[in-house]
Amino acid sequence: MFEIRSTKNKVILQIVLLLLTIPYAIPLIQMVLGSLGGTGLANYKAVWDTGVVPTYFRNSMIISAGVIILVYIFSMTAGFGFAKLHILGKEVFFWMILVALTLPEVIMLTPLFVTFQRLHLFNTFFAVILPLAALQLPFMILLARNFDSSIPNELMEAARIDGASVTKMFWYVILPLTKPIASSIVVLTLINSWNSYLMPLLFLQSPEMQTVTLLPQYFQGEFTNDQTKILAAAVLTAIPEIIIYLLMQKNFEKGMSAGALK
Amino acid sequence: MKKNKTMKSTKINGFLWILPAFVFVVGIIYYSIFYTFNLSTLDWNGLDPIQTSVGVSNYAKAFGDHIFWKAITNTVVYFIITFIVQNSLGFIFAAILHTEVKLPTVHKCLVFIPTIIAPATMAPVFRLLFSPQGMLQDIFDALHLGITVNWLANPKTALFILMMIAIWEFTGMSFILYYAAMSQIDKEMIEAARLDGAGNFRTLWNIVLPNCKGTTISLAMLGVIGALKTFDIPYLITTGGPNHATEFLGTYIYRQGIRQSHLGYAAALSVMLLILAICGALLTNRANKGDE
Repeated sequence: MFEIRSTKNKVILQIVLLLLTIPYAIPLIQMVLGSLGGTGLANYKAVWDTGVVPTYFRNSMIISAGVIILVYIFSMTAGFGFAKLHILGKEVFFWMILVALTLPEVIMLTPLFVTFQRLHLFNTFFAVILPLAALQLPFMILLARNFDSSIPNELMEAARIDGASVTKMFWYVILPLTKPIASSIVVLTLINSWNSYLMPLLFLQSPEMQTVTLLPQYFQGEFTNDQTKILAAAVLTAIPEIIIYLLMQKNFEKGMSAGALK
Repeated sequence: MKKNKTMKSTKINGFLWILPAFVFVVGIIYYSIFYTFNLSTLDWNGLDPIQTSVGVSNYAKAFGDHIFWKAITNTVVYFIITFIVQNSLGFIFAAILHTEVKLPTVHKCLVFIPTIIAPATMAPVFRLLFSPQGMLQDIFDALHLGITVNWLANPKTALFILMMIAIWEFTGMSFILYYAAMSQIDKEMIEAARLDGAGNFRTLWNIVLPNCKGTTISLAMLGVIGALKTFDIPYLITTGGPNHATEFLGTYIYRQGIRQSHLGYAAALSVMLLILAICGALLTNRANKGDE
Protein backbone atom coordinates (compact mmCIF):
# COMPACT_ATOMS: atom_id res chain seq x y z
CA MET A 1 0.00 0.00 0.00
CA PHE A 2 3.01 2.26 0.44
CA GLU A 3 4.97 3.42 -2.54
CA ILE A 4 8.59 3.62 -1.52
CA ARG A 5 11.50 4.33 -3.82
CA SER A 6 14.51 5.43 -1.78
CA THR A 7 16.53 2.86 0.15
CA LYS A 8 16.50 5.10 3.19
CA ASN A 9 12.71 5.03 3.39
CA LYS A 10 12.69 1.26 2.85
CA VAL A 11 14.93 0.87 5.86
CA ILE A 12 12.76 3.19 7.94
CA LEU A 13 9.62 1.23 7.07
CA GLN A 14 11.35 -2.03 7.97
CA ILE A 15 12.39 -0.59 11.34
CA VAL A 16 8.87 0.71 12.05
CA LEU A 17 7.49 -2.76 11.28
CA LEU A 18 10.04 -4.35 13.60
CA LEU A 19 9.25 -1.92 16.45
CA LEU A 20 5.52 -2.56 16.05
CA THR A 21 6.00 -6.33 16.09
CA ILE A 22 8.27 -6.54 19.15
CA PRO A 23 5.44 -6.03 21.70
CA TYR A 24 3.65 -9.02 20.13
CA ALA A 25 6.71 -11.19 20.69
CA ILE A 26 7.37 -10.16 24.31
CA PRO A 27 4.71 -12.36 25.99
CA LEU A 28 5.80 -15.32 23.86
CA ILE A 29 9.43 -14.76 24.86
CA GLN A 30 8.37 -14.47 28.50
CA MET A 31 6.50 -17.77 28.18
CA VAL A 32 9.50 -19.66 26.81
CA LEU A 33 12.09 -17.99 29.10
CA GLY A 34 9.87 -18.50 32.13
CA SER A 35 9.39 -22.16 31.33
CA LEU A 36 13.17 -22.64 31.28
CA GLY A 37 13.74 -20.94 34.65
CA GLY A 38 14.91 -22.86 37.72
CA THR A 39 15.58 -26.43 36.62
CA GLY A 40 15.57 -25.62 32.89
CA LEU A 41 14.40 -28.37 30.51
CA ALA A 42 13.66 -30.61 33.49
CA ASN A 43 10.50 -28.53 33.92
CA TYR A 44 9.17 -30.03 30.71
CA LYS A 45 10.08 -33.52 31.86
CA ALA A 46 8.29 -32.95 35.19
CA VAL A 47 5.18 -31.76 33.36
CA TRP A 48 5.28 -34.67 30.92
CA ASP A 49 5.91 -37.22 33.71
CA THR A 50 2.62 -36.37 35.41
CA GLY A 51 1.11 -38.29 32.49
CA VAL A 52 -1.95 -36.05 32.20
CA VAL A 53 -0.89 -33.98 29.18
CA PRO A 54 -1.83 -36.58 26.52
CA THR A 55 -5.21 -37.18 28.19
CA TYR A 56 -6.09 -33.47 28.17
CA PHE A 57 -4.98 -33.22 24.56
CA ARG A 58 -7.07 -36.22 23.55
CA ASN A 59 -10.12 -34.70 25.22
CA SER A 60 -9.64 -31.35 23.46
CA MET A 61 -9.27 -33.19 20.14
CA ILE A 62 -12.47 -35.18 20.65
CA ILE A 63 -14.40 -32.04 21.57
CA SER A 64 -12.99 -29.95 18.69
CA ALA A 65 -13.67 -32.75 16.20
CA GLY A 66 -17.26 -33.07 17.42
CA VAL A 67 -17.87 -29.32 17.20
CA ILE A 68 -16.26 -29.08 13.75
CA ILE A 69 -18.39 -31.93 12.34
CA LEU A 70 -21.63 -30.37 13.60
CA VAL A 71 -20.71 -26.84 12.54
CA TYR A 72 -19.49 -27.97 9.11
CA ILE A 73 -22.58 -29.98 8.22
CA PHE A 74 -25.10 -27.46 9.56
CA SER A 75 -23.38 -24.34 8.18
CA MET A 76 -22.91 -25.86 4.72
CA THR A 77 -26.51 -27.03 4.37
CA ALA A 78 -28.04 -23.91 5.94
CA GLY A 79 -25.73 -21.56 4.02
CA PHE A 80 -26.89 -23.22 0.77
CA GLY A 81 -30.54 -23.06 1.80
CA PHE A 82 -30.41 -19.40 2.83
CA ALA A 83 -28.45 -18.31 -0.24
CA LYS A 84 -30.00 -20.31 -3.06
CA LEU A 85 -33.34 -21.94 -2.22
CA HIS A 86 -36.88 -20.62 -1.93
CA ILE A 87 -38.07 -20.75 1.66
CA LEU A 88 -41.21 -19.14 3.01
CA GLY A 89 -40.26 -16.58 5.68
CA LYS A 90 -36.55 -17.02 4.98
CA GLU A 91 -35.58 -13.61 6.37
CA VAL A 92 -37.34 -14.30 9.66
CA PHE A 93 -35.47 -17.59 10.14
CA PHE A 94 -32.20 -15.95 9.20
CA TRP A 95 -32.66 -13.10 11.67
CA MET A 96 -33.59 -15.53 14.42
CA ILE A 97 -30.26 -17.26 13.88
CA LEU A 98 -28.35 -13.96 13.66
CA VAL A 99 -29.73 -12.72 16.98
CA ALA A 100 -28.06 -15.75 18.55
CA LEU A 101 -24.75 -14.25 17.39
CA THR A 102 -24.98 -11.75 20.22
CA LEU A 103 -25.49 -14.32 22.98
CA PRO A 104 -22.74 -14.23 25.62
CA GLU A 105 -21.92 -17.78 26.69
CA VAL A 106 -22.10 -16.91 30.39
CA ILE A 107 -25.90 -16.66 29.96
CA MET A 108 -26.09 -20.34 29.01
CA LEU A 109 -24.32 -21.63 32.10
CA THR A 110 -27.19 -21.96 34.55
CA PRO A 111 -29.84 -23.22 32.09
CA LEU A 112 -27.50 -25.81 30.65
CA PHE A 113 -26.08 -26.81 34.04
CA VAL A 114 -29.55 -27.63 35.37
CA THR A 115 -30.75 -29.24 32.13
CA PHE A 116 -27.66 -31.38 31.56
CA GLN A 117 -27.89 -32.75 35.08
CA ARG A 118 -31.52 -33.68 34.50
CA LEU A 119 -30.69 -35.38 31.17
CA HIS A 120 -27.60 -37.14 32.61
CA LEU A 121 -25.40 -35.35 30.06
CA PHE A 122 -23.39 -33.65 32.78
CA ASN A 123 -19.69 -34.60 32.71
CA THR A 124 -19.95 -36.02 29.17
CA PHE A 125 -18.32 -34.55 26.06
CA PHE A 126 -21.80 -33.80 24.67
CA ALA A 127 -22.29 -31.22 27.43
CA VAL A 128 -19.46 -29.18 25.90
CA ILE A 129 -19.80 -30.08 22.20
CA LEU A 130 -23.51 -29.16 21.85
CA PRO A 131 -23.40 -25.62 23.32
CA LEU A 132 -20.07 -24.81 21.67
CA ALA A 133 -21.44 -25.81 18.26
CA ALA A 134 -24.63 -23.82 18.85
CA LEU A 135 -22.62 -20.72 19.79
CA GLN A 136 -20.39 -20.97 16.71
CA LEU A 137 -23.08 -21.76 14.16
CA PRO A 138 -24.71 -18.33 13.69
CA PHE A 139 -21.47 -16.69 12.56
CA MET A 140 -20.44 -19.64 10.39
CA ILE A 141 -23.87 -19.76 8.72
CA LEU A 142 -23.46 -16.05 7.96
CA LEU A 143 -20.05 -16.69 6.35
CA ALA A 144 -21.34 -19.66 4.34
CA ARG A 145 -24.46 -17.83 3.16
CA ASN A 146 -22.45 -14.80 2.02
CA PHE A 147 -20.05 -17.02 0.11
CA ASP A 148 -22.79 -19.15 -1.47
CA SER A 149 -24.65 -16.01 -2.62
CA SER A 150 -21.72 -15.14 -4.88
CA ILE A 151 -21.97 -18.47 -6.76
CA PRO A 152 -23.65 -17.72 -10.12
CA ASN A 153 -27.20 -19.06 -10.49
CA GLU A 154 -26.37 -20.13 -14.05
CA LEU A 155 -24.23 -22.96 -12.70
CA MET A 156 -27.16 -24.28 -10.75
CA GLU A 157 -29.56 -23.80 -13.67
CA ALA A 158 -27.21 -25.81 -15.85
CA ALA A 159 -27.13 -28.61 -13.34
CA ARG A 160 -30.91 -28.51 -13.04
CA ILE A 161 -31.36 -28.77 -16.83
CA ASP A 162 -29.09 -31.80 -16.75
CA GLY A 163 -31.67 -33.30 -14.41
CA ALA A 164 -29.76 -32.97 -11.14
CA SER A 165 -31.77 -33.01 -7.93
CA VAL A 166 -31.18 -30.38 -5.25
CA THR A 167 -29.09 -32.88 -3.29
CA LYS A 168 -26.93 -33.62 -6.31
CA MET A 169 -26.55 -29.90 -6.99
CA PHE A 170 -25.36 -29.38 -3.44
CA TRP A 171 -22.96 -32.30 -3.63
CA TYR A 172 -21.46 -31.71 -7.10
CA VAL A 173 -21.76 -27.92 -7.54
CA ILE A 174 -21.91 -26.20 -4.17
CA LEU A 175 -19.56 -28.29 -2.01
CA PRO A 176 -16.58 -28.21 -4.41
CA LEU A 177 -16.99 -24.45 -4.95
CA THR A 178 -17.25 -23.62 -1.24
CA LYS A 179 -13.91 -25.15 -0.26
CA PRO A 180 -12.23 -21.79 0.55
CA ILE A 181 -14.92 -20.68 2.97
CA ALA A 182 -15.26 -24.22 4.35
CA SER A 183 -11.59 -24.23 5.32
CA SER A 184 -11.99 -20.86 7.06
CA ILE A 185 -15.00 -22.21 8.92
CA VAL A 186 -13.04 -25.28 10.00
CA VAL A 187 -10.03 -23.25 11.19
CA LEU A 188 -12.13 -20.67 13.07
CA THR A 189 -14.22 -23.39 14.68
CA LEU A 190 -11.08 -25.28 15.65
CA ILE A 191 -9.51 -22.20 17.28
CA ASN A 192 -12.69 -21.35 19.18
CA SER A 193 -13.46 -24.84 20.42
CA TRP A 194 -9.84 -25.68 21.26
CA ASN A 195 -9.55 -22.42 23.25
CA SER A 196 -12.90 -22.65 25.04
CA TYR A 197 -12.52 -22.42 28.77
CA LEU A 198 -15.82 -21.76 30.51
CA MET A 199 -17.87 -24.72 29.23
CA PRO A 200 -15.21 -27.37 30.00
CA LEU A 201 -14.56 -25.73 33.39
CA LEU A 202 -18.18 -26.12 34.45
CA PHE A 203 -19.49 -29.13 32.57
CA LEU A 204 -16.51 -31.52 32.80
CA GLN A 205 -15.83 -32.24 36.43
CA SER A 206 -13.69 -35.38 36.43
CA PRO A 207 -9.97 -34.88 35.65
CA GLU A 208 -9.86 -37.58 32.95
CA MET A 209 -12.47 -35.60 30.96
CA GLN A 210 -10.87 -32.15 31.07
CA THR A 211 -9.34 -30.10 28.26
CA VAL A 212 -6.00 -28.35 27.55
CA THR A 213 -7.33 -24.95 28.62
CA LEU A 214 -7.70 -26.36 32.14
CA LEU A 215 -4.08 -27.60 32.25
CA PRO A 216 -2.61 -24.42 33.84
CA GLN A 217 -5.09 -24.76 36.70
CA TYR A 218 -4.31 -28.44 37.12
CA PHE A 219 -0.60 -27.65 37.39
CA GLN A 220 -1.25 -24.80 39.79
CA GLY A 221 -2.74 -27.45 42.06
CA GLU A 222 0.00 -29.97 41.32
CA PHE A 223 3.11 -27.77 41.59
CA THR A 224 1.58 -25.09 43.90
CA ASN A 225 3.62 -22.03 43.13
CA ASP A 226 6.29 -23.38 40.81
CA GLN A 227 5.63 -20.91 37.96
CA THR A 228 8.28 -22.47 35.72
CA LYS A 229 6.39 -25.76 35.38
CA ILE A 230 3.07 -24.01 34.84
CA LEU A 231 4.68 -22.09 31.97
CA ALA A 232 6.25 -25.27 30.58
CA ALA A 233 2.71 -26.67 30.44
CA ALA A 234 1.56 -23.49 28.68
CA VAL A 235 4.28 -23.90 26.02
CA LEU A 236 3.32 -27.55 25.47
CA THR A 237 -0.31 -26.48 25.00
CA ALA A 238 0.51 -23.67 22.58
CA ILE A 239 2.87 -25.59 20.26
CA PRO A 240 0.26 -27.79 18.49
CA GLU A 241 -1.98 -24.77 17.90
CA ILE A 242 0.87 -22.84 16.33
CA ILE A 243 1.82 -25.80 14.11
CA ILE A 244 -1.77 -26.25 12.89
CA TYR A 245 -2.02 -22.53 12.15
CA LEU A 246 1.24 -22.50 10.20
CA LEU A 247 0.10 -25.49 8.15
CA MET A 248 -3.27 -23.95 7.30
CA GLN A 249 -2.19 -20.31 7.06
CA LYS A 250 -2.55 -20.00 3.26
CA ASN A 251 -6.01 -21.60 3.14
CA PHE A 252 -7.17 -19.53 6.02
CA GLU A 253 -6.21 -16.21 4.45
CA LYS A 254 -7.81 -17.18 1.16
CA GLY A 255 -11.06 -18.07 2.89
CA MET A 256 -11.12 -14.89 4.94
CA SER A 257 -10.76 -12.69 1.89
CA ALA A 258 -13.38 -14.70 0.04
CA GLY A 259 -16.09 -14.94 2.63
CA ALA A 260 -15.76 -12.55 5.51
CA LEU A 261 -15.97 -9.34 3.59
CA LYS A 262 -19.27 -9.32 1.80
CA MET B 1 -45.73 -25.97 -16.35
CA LYS B 2 -42.41 -27.69 -15.94
CA LYS B 3 -40.79 -24.65 -14.34
CA ASN B 4 -43.65 -24.36 -11.88
CA LYS B 5 -43.10 -27.95 -10.82
CA THR B 6 -39.40 -27.48 -10.03
CA MET B 7 -40.15 -24.31 -8.12
CA LYS B 8 -42.61 -26.21 -5.99
CA SER B 9 -40.17 -28.99 -5.24
CA THR B 10 -37.39 -26.56 -4.27
CA LYS B 11 -39.83 -24.83 -1.95
CA ILE B 12 -40.28 -28.00 0.05
CA ASN B 13 -36.61 -28.97 -0.05
CA GLY B 14 -35.42 -25.47 0.79
CA PHE B 15 -36.94 -25.57 4.24
CA LEU B 16 -35.46 -28.98 4.94
CA TRP B 17 -31.97 -27.63 4.17
CA ILE B 18 -32.07 -25.01 6.89
CA LEU B 19 -34.13 -27.06 9.32
CA PRO B 20 -31.31 -28.98 11.08
CA ALA B 21 -29.25 -25.85 11.80
CA PHE B 22 -32.34 -23.90 12.80
CA VAL B 23 -33.61 -26.53 15.20
CA PHE B 24 -30.13 -26.91 16.71
CA VAL B 25 -29.48 -23.21 17.25
CA VAL B 26 -32.99 -22.35 18.39
CA GLY B 27 -33.20 -25.48 20.52
CA ILE B 28 -30.10 -24.71 22.56
CA ILE B 29 -29.79 -20.94 22.45
CA TYR B 30 -33.42 -19.85 22.64
CA TYR B 31 -34.06 -22.50 25.27
CA SER B 32 -31.28 -20.93 27.36
CA ILE B 33 -32.65 -17.43 26.83
CA PHE B 34 -36.20 -18.34 27.89
CA TYR B 35 -34.92 -20.35 30.83
CA THR B 36 -32.81 -17.38 31.96
CA PHE B 37 -35.72 -15.02 31.49
CA ASN B 38 -37.90 -17.19 33.70
CA LEU B 39 -35.13 -17.55 36.28
CA SER B 40 -34.68 -13.77 36.44
CA THR B 41 -38.07 -13.38 38.12
CA LEU B 42 -37.18 -15.83 40.91
CA ASP B 43 -35.18 -15.85 44.09
CA TRP B 44 -33.49 -19.25 43.96
CA ASN B 45 -30.11 -20.70 45.01
CA GLY B 46 -30.22 -23.66 42.62
CA LEU B 47 -30.63 -26.37 45.28
CA ASP B 48 -33.63 -25.35 47.36
CA PRO B 49 -36.84 -27.01 46.16
CA ILE B 50 -38.63 -23.73 46.90
CA GLN B 51 -38.38 -21.04 44.22
CA THR B 52 -39.84 -17.73 45.31
CA SER B 53 -41.25 -15.48 42.61
CA VAL B 54 -40.06 -11.91 43.07
CA GLY B 55 -41.31 -10.23 39.88
CA VAL B 56 -39.00 -7.54 38.56
CA SER B 57 -37.20 -6.86 41.83
CA ASN B 58 -33.98 -8.54 40.56
CA TYR B 59 -33.91 -5.97 37.76
CA ALA B 60 -34.62 -3.11 40.17
CA LYS B 61 -31.77 -4.35 42.37
CA ALA B 62 -29.31 -4.14 39.46
CA PHE B 63 -30.02 -0.46 38.86
CA GLY B 64 -29.04 0.33 42.44
CA ASP B 65 -25.97 -1.94 42.37
CA HIS B 66 -22.81 0.14 42.03
CA ILE B 67 -20.76 -2.91 40.93
CA PHE B 68 -23.18 -3.39 38.01
CA TRP B 69 -22.55 0.24 36.96
CA LYS B 70 -18.81 -0.23 37.47
CA ALA B 71 -18.96 -3.23 35.10
CA ILE B 72 -20.87 -1.16 32.51
CA THR B 73 -18.35 1.71 32.74
CA ASN B 74 -15.45 -0.72 32.41
CA THR B 75 -17.07 -2.29 29.34
CA VAL B 76 -17.55 1.10 27.64
CA VAL B 77 -13.97 2.25 28.37
CA TYR B 78 -12.65 -1.15 27.29
CA PHE B 79 -14.59 -1.07 24.01
CA ILE B 80 -13.58 2.47 23.02
CA ILE B 81 -9.87 2.05 23.72
CA THR B 82 -9.41 -1.49 22.40
CA PHE B 83 -11.47 -0.70 19.28
CA ILE B 84 -9.37 2.34 18.36
CA VAL B 85 -5.93 0.93 19.20
CA GLN B 86 -6.43 -2.61 17.96
CA ASN B 87 -7.93 -1.61 14.62
CA SER B 88 -5.41 1.17 13.99
CA LEU B 89 -2.62 -1.32 14.60
CA GLY B 90 -4.30 -3.97 12.45
CA PHE B 91 -4.77 -1.44 9.67
CA ILE B 92 -1.14 -0.24 9.83
CA PHE B 93 0.21 -3.80 9.85
CA ALA B 94 -1.97 -4.67 6.85
CA ALA B 95 -0.79 -1.58 4.93
CA ILE B 96 2.89 -2.24 5.69
CA LEU B 97 2.64 -5.93 4.82
CA HIS B 98 1.02 -5.03 1.50
CA THR B 99 4.24 -3.15 0.72
CA GLU B 100 7.41 -4.95 -0.21
CA VAL B 101 9.18 -5.63 3.09
CA LYS B 102 11.61 -8.26 4.31
CA LEU B 103 10.32 -11.36 6.14
CA PRO B 104 6.59 -10.67 5.70
CA THR B 105 5.54 -14.15 6.87
CA VAL B 106 7.46 -13.87 10.14
CA HIS B 107 5.73 -10.58 11.01
CA LYS B 108 2.34 -11.88 9.90
CA CYS B 109 2.69 -14.96 12.10
CA LEU B 110 3.88 -12.99 15.14
CA VAL B 111 0.83 -10.75 14.94
CA PHE B 112 -1.60 -13.58 14.33
CA ILE B 113 -0.27 -16.22 16.75
CA PRO B 114 -1.67 -14.37 19.83
CA THR B 115 -5.15 -14.76 18.30
CA ILE B 116 -4.92 -18.54 18.18
CA ILE B 117 -3.44 -19.21 21.63
CA ALA B 118 -6.10 -19.65 24.33
CA PRO B 119 -6.37 -16.82 26.89
CA ALA B 120 -6.41 -19.63 29.46
CA THR B 121 -2.97 -20.74 28.28
CA MET B 122 -1.56 -17.21 28.30
CA ALA B 123 -3.03 -16.13 31.65
CA PRO B 124 -0.15 -17.44 33.82
CA VAL B 125 2.32 -15.83 31.41
CA PHE B 126 0.69 -12.41 31.75
CA ARG B 127 0.43 -12.71 35.52
CA LEU B 128 4.20 -13.29 35.57
CA LEU B 129 5.04 -10.67 32.93
CA PHE B 130 3.24 -7.90 34.84
CA SER B 131 4.58 -8.91 38.25
CA PRO B 132 7.85 -7.83 39.94
CA GLN B 133 9.28 -11.29 39.07
CA GLY B 134 8.68 -10.85 35.33
CA MET B 135 10.73 -9.91 32.31
CA LEU B 136 9.55 -6.27 32.19
CA GLN B 137 10.89 -5.72 35.71
CA ASP B 138 14.24 -7.17 34.63
CA ILE B 139 14.36 -4.80 31.66
CA PHE B 140 13.45 -1.78 33.81
CA ASP B 141 16.04 -2.78 36.41
CA ALA B 142 18.73 -3.14 33.77
CA LEU B 143 17.92 0.39 32.54
CA HIS B 144 17.87 1.68 36.16
CA LEU B 145 14.44 3.23 35.66
CA GLY B 146 13.39 2.68 39.27
CA ILE B 147 9.91 1.50 38.26
CA THR B 148 8.22 -1.33 40.15
CA VAL B 149 5.97 -3.48 37.98
CA ASN B 150 2.87 -4.31 40.04
CA TRP B 151 0.25 -2.86 37.74
CA LEU B 152 -2.21 -5.76 38.00
CA ALA B 153 -2.48 -5.27 41.78
CA ASN B 154 -3.17 -1.55 41.41
CA PRO B 155 -6.87 -0.68 40.84
CA LYS B 156 -5.81 2.40 38.84
CA THR B 157 -3.78 0.48 36.24
CA ALA B 158 -5.24 -3.06 36.21
CA LEU B 159 -7.96 -2.30 33.62
CA PHE B 160 -5.41 -0.61 31.39
CA ILE B 161 -3.18 -3.71 31.48
CA LEU B 162 -6.14 -5.97 30.63
CA MET B 163 -6.90 -3.75 27.64
CA MET B 164 -3.30 -4.09 26.48
CA ILE B 165 -3.60 -7.86 26.76
CA ALA B 166 -6.86 -7.83 24.78
CA ILE B 167 -5.24 -5.68 22.09
CA TRP B 168 -2.30 -8.09 21.98
CA GLU B 169 -4.69 -10.96 21.50
CA PHE B 170 -7.08 -9.53 18.89
CA THR B 171 -4.92 -7.33 16.63
CA GLY B 172 -4.37 -10.45 14.49
CA MET B 173 -8.09 -10.57 13.66
CA SER B 174 -8.22 -6.88 12.64
CA PHE B 175 -5.02 -7.33 10.69
CA ILE B 176 -6.17 -10.34 8.69
CA LEU B 177 -9.54 -8.75 7.80
CA TYR B 178 -7.95 -5.44 6.72
CA TYR B 179 -5.27 -7.35 4.85
CA ALA B 180 -7.94 -9.24 2.90
CA ALA B 181 -9.93 -6.05 2.26
CA MET B 182 -6.86 -4.21 0.94
CA SER B 183 -6.08 -6.93 -1.57
CA GLN B 184 -9.47 -6.24 -3.18
CA ILE B 185 -8.93 -2.50 -3.66
CA ASP B 186 -8.63 -1.47 -7.28
CA LYS B 187 -4.94 -0.76 -7.96
CA GLU B 188 -5.79 1.82 -10.61
CA MET B 189 -7.61 3.98 -8.07
CA ILE B 190 -4.46 4.15 -5.96
CA GLU B 191 -2.34 4.87 -9.03
CA ALA B 192 -4.66 7.71 -10.00
CA ALA B 193 -4.38 9.27 -6.55
CA ARG B 194 -0.60 9.03 -6.76
CA LEU B 195 -0.58 10.71 -10.17
CA ASP B 196 -2.63 13.54 -8.64
CA GLY B 197 0.26 14.03 -6.25
CA ALA B 198 -1.14 12.37 -3.12
CA GLY B 199 1.59 11.08 -0.80
CA ASN B 200 1.59 7.76 1.06
CA PHE B 201 -0.30 9.00 4.09
CA ARG B 202 -2.90 10.92 2.10
CA THR B 203 -3.52 7.89 -0.11
CA LEU B 204 -3.86 5.70 2.97
CA TRP B 205 -6.26 8.08 4.68
CA ASN B 206 -8.32 9.25 1.68
CA ILE B 207 -8.39 6.13 -0.52
CA VAL B 208 -7.48 2.98 1.39
CA LEU B 209 -9.33 3.61 4.67
CA PRO B 210 -12.68 4.57 3.06
CA ASN B 211 -12.43 1.48 0.85
CA CYS B 212 -12.08 -0.68 3.96
CA LYS B 213 -15.22 0.80 5.53
CA GLY B 214 -17.16 -2.47 5.39
CA THR B 215 -14.39 -4.17 7.33
CA THR B 216 -14.25 -1.38 9.91
CA ILE B 217 -17.99 -1.70 10.50
CA SER B 218 -17.81 -5.49 10.81
CA LEU B 219 -14.98 -5.03 13.32
CA ALA B 220 -17.04 -2.46 15.23
CA MET B 221 -19.91 -4.91 15.51
CA LEU B 222 -17.64 -7.76 16.59
CA GLY B 223 -15.98 -5.30 19.01
CA VAL B 224 -19.23 -4.22 20.69
CA ILE B 225 -20.42 -7.80 21.11
CA GLY B 226 -16.92 -8.93 22.13
CA ALA B 227 -16.59 -6.20 24.79
CA LEU B 228 -19.95 -7.17 26.28
CA LYS B 229 -18.97 -10.85 26.25
CA THR B 230 -15.54 -10.23 27.84
CA PHE B 231 -14.90 -12.96 30.36
CA ASP B 232 -11.77 -15.10 29.97
CA ILE B 233 -9.12 -12.37 30.25
CA PRO B 234 -10.40 -10.57 33.40
CA TYR B 235 -11.56 -13.79 35.05
CA LEU B 236 -8.27 -15.62 34.55
CA ILE B 237 -5.85 -12.75 35.14
CA THR B 238 -7.42 -10.57 37.84
CA THR B 239 -10.74 -12.36 38.68
CA GLY B 240 -12.37 -8.94 38.29
CA GLY B 241 -10.25 -7.34 41.01
CA PRO B 242 -8.62 -5.60 42.70
CA ASN B 243 -11.76 -4.24 44.35
CA HIS B 244 -13.90 -4.73 41.19
CA ALA B 245 -11.55 -2.47 39.17
CA THR B 246 -11.65 -4.97 36.28
CA GLU B 247 -15.20 -6.25 36.77
CA PHE B 248 -17.13 -6.93 33.56
CA LEU B 249 -20.73 -8.07 33.16
CA GLY B 250 -19.55 -11.61 32.37
CA THR B 251 -17.35 -11.91 35.44
CA TYR B 252 -20.01 -10.32 37.66
CA ILE B 253 -22.72 -12.70 36.40
CA TYR B 254 -20.35 -15.59 37.06
CA ARG B 255 -19.57 -14.27 40.54
CA GLN B 256 -23.27 -13.83 41.40
CA GLY B 257 -24.62 -16.96 39.74
CA ILE B 258 -21.98 -19.66 40.01
CA ARG B 259 -19.90 -18.54 43.01
CA GLN B 260 -22.61 -17.10 45.27
CA SER B 261 -25.65 -19.02 43.95
CA HIS B 262 -27.80 -15.90 43.50
CA LEU B 263 -29.27 -17.49 40.38
CA GLY B 264 -32.20 -15.11 40.01
CA TYR B 265 -30.06 -12.01 40.23
CA ALA B 266 -27.43 -13.45 37.88
CA ALA B 267 -30.21 -14.28 35.39
CA ALA B 268 -31.58 -10.71 35.54
CA LEU B 269 -28.06 -9.39 34.87
CA SER B 270 -27.79 -11.88 31.97
CA VAL B 271 -31.03 -10.67 30.40
CA MET B 272 -29.80 -7.07 30.61
CA LEU B 273 -26.48 -8.11 29.08
CA LEU B 274 -28.29 -9.81 26.20
CA ILE B 275 -30.47 -6.74 25.59
CA LEU B 276 -27.37 -4.53 25.55
CA ALA B 277 -25.64 -6.88 23.08
CA ILE B 278 -28.63 -6.90 20.71
CA CYS B 279 -28.95 -3.09 20.92
CA GLY B 280 -25.21 -2.72 20.26
CA ALA B 281 -25.40 -4.97 17.21
CA LEU B 282 -28.49 -3.16 15.86
CA LEU B 283 -26.88 0.26 16.36
CA THR B 284 -23.68 -0.66 14.50
CA ASN B 285 -25.79 -2.24 11.77
CA ARG B 286 -27.88 0.93 11.50
CA ALA B 287 -24.74 3.10 11.35
CA ASN B 288 -23.71 0.93 8.41
CA LYS B 289 -27.01 1.31 6.54
CA GLY B 290 -27.39 5.02 7.36
CA ASP B 291 -24.06 5.88 5.78
CA GLU B 292 -24.65 4.15 2.49
